[in-house]
Amino acid sequence: MSQERPLPVITEQNRGYWAAAARQELVMPHCTQCDRVFFPIAPVCPFCFAADPDWKKVSGRGRVSSFVIFQQAFFAFFKNRLPYAVVQVELDEGPRINANLFDMKPEEVRIGLPVEVTFEKVNDEITLPQFRPLVSGN
Amino acid sequence: MTWNPRSKAAIAGVGTSQFARDTGLTTTEMIAKALRAALDDCGLAIGDIDGLYINAGGDFDKMAEQLGMQVGYAMQFWTHGRMCAPTLQQAALSVAAGLATHIACVYSIDISERGGGFGGGRSHGHEEYREGGGTHGEMAHYGLTHPGSGAAMAWQKYRHRYGATEEQLGAVATTTRQHASLNPLALMQHTYTLEDYLASRFVIEPLRLLDCAVVNDGAVCVIVTTAERARDHRKKPVYIAGMDGLHAGRDEFVFAPPGLGIWQQPESGVAARSTHVYERAGVTRSDIDGFYCLDSFSPLVIFALEEFGFCKPGEAAPWVAEGNTRLGGKLPVNTNGGHLSEGMLGGWAHQVEIVRQLRGECGRRQIADARVLQFAMGQGVSNIYSNEKL
Repeated sequence: MSQERPLPVITEQNRGYWAAAARQELVMPHCTQCDRVFFPIAPVCPFCFAADPDWKKVSGRGRVSSFVIFQQAFFAFFKNRLPYAVVQVELDEGPRINANLFDMKPEEVRIGLPVEVTFEKVNDEITLPQFRPLVSGN
Repeated sequence: MTWNPRSKAAIAGVGTSQFARDTGLTTTEMIAKALRAALDDCGLAIGDIDGLYINAGGDFDKMAEQLGMQVGYAMQFWTHGRMCAPTLQQAALSVAAGLATHIACVYSIDISERGGGFGGGRSHGHEEYREGGGTHGEMAHYGLTHPGSGAAMAWQKYRHRYGATEEQLGAVATTTRQHASLNPLALMQHTYTLEDYLASRFVIEPLRLLDCAVVNDGAVCVIVTTAERARDHRKKPVYIAGMDGLHAGRDEFVFAPPGLGIWQQPESGVAARSTHVYERAGVTRSDIDGFYCLDSFSPLVIFALEEFGFCKPGEAAPWVAEGNTRLGGKLPVNTNGGHLSEGMLGGWAHQVEIVRQLRGECGRRQIADARVLQFAMGQGVSNIYSNEKL
């Protein structure tokens, strides 16, 4: 198994998403016709088929709508993170995205947990949006 | 009136290679063994095969060349279990339309060569790098690196919504292994108790090791011909009575029933809705003598029973735990042992089992008087088979 961290491949289509993450902003593809945000990143709006979506900054807040806890590493890189949680977060704006949950023991994660985005810088090009429990009053 | 392909095509022969953790054989070598066995099963010669439908990697033209075939109709489908029933559907439609007379449908999986199985190793997780994420929900940069992660995510949500228990999920794992212990082809012959299941380690929590399919090499061949021709072959025909295709879009996630809210699925509309296959076959659910579904991870059995309306949403988990899916139960499920224990053959070994059940060849695991059997999986895809023309 490779020791390297698997990283997303930057394409013309997703460049705006990763550029925003590098600025510590979470953005979603946004339809300029019907004004909705959506995920995953796509060349057209999945609701109205309009082309050329742009990007819209979202609150970064949402709730855990499901999650899993890895007890086995399928890539060597993740071995020393075991056990780790991967959460499916439903953003307040609607789309669901997956990420890791920081600042909480995996066994304490629950569906419905309010969370907020945080950022994990990997290198100059890639910063990963991640989540942590929402601190009340934040 | 719409033309109905009901019982226009039939399976004339089935064959498999050995299933093993590592056969040491290439895809084409394994397919050659499965093809030989299938030809013997129906009493045909290689020269009788004029169609080749491949649900495997490699190249159809190289494969035909190496297998000594000369076919007039070849097709190749993406190497995933969900293409199993569609491959057979296309073969059935093709023979019914006269495009070919005997189509060899072949599948092979060579995981040992890939090194380390899914989600790592030499393949370095090709699935994870697809545009838009892996097809089972993989995202390698978050360590979401295994096909089971999608099933685990869905089961977490399901048990939260309906209060299903780990013991209920364990009933899928133990029942399927009990069936496998009666199948000489099955890779796993052990039976497990619920206590064994609960003691099995978590891999991707809430899924345990015993919730996951075996990982193996192997090949399967299914020969499809017209209903008329099938009557002249060695074995009794198994008719392809009804079919429904793969559904795709934001409502669908490979390892979650519609309405569960996994990935971008809406969290509503959970009612069973896959009824086309019954209408097309001219049967109702009560006519189904056994149910076969893709079970790479044990929650998929529960989801399929609900998606196809045998249970209401939330009710399949207790229903399985009550023993209804055992041999001798109301609806025996995966009597071959499925992916969980017979071997992961992309649903193709399930087809072999269905054919053998409908011919009455299954010995100790035979479903008494099996007449109509269903294969189904998530994303709505299903075939109904019968040993009499429906």
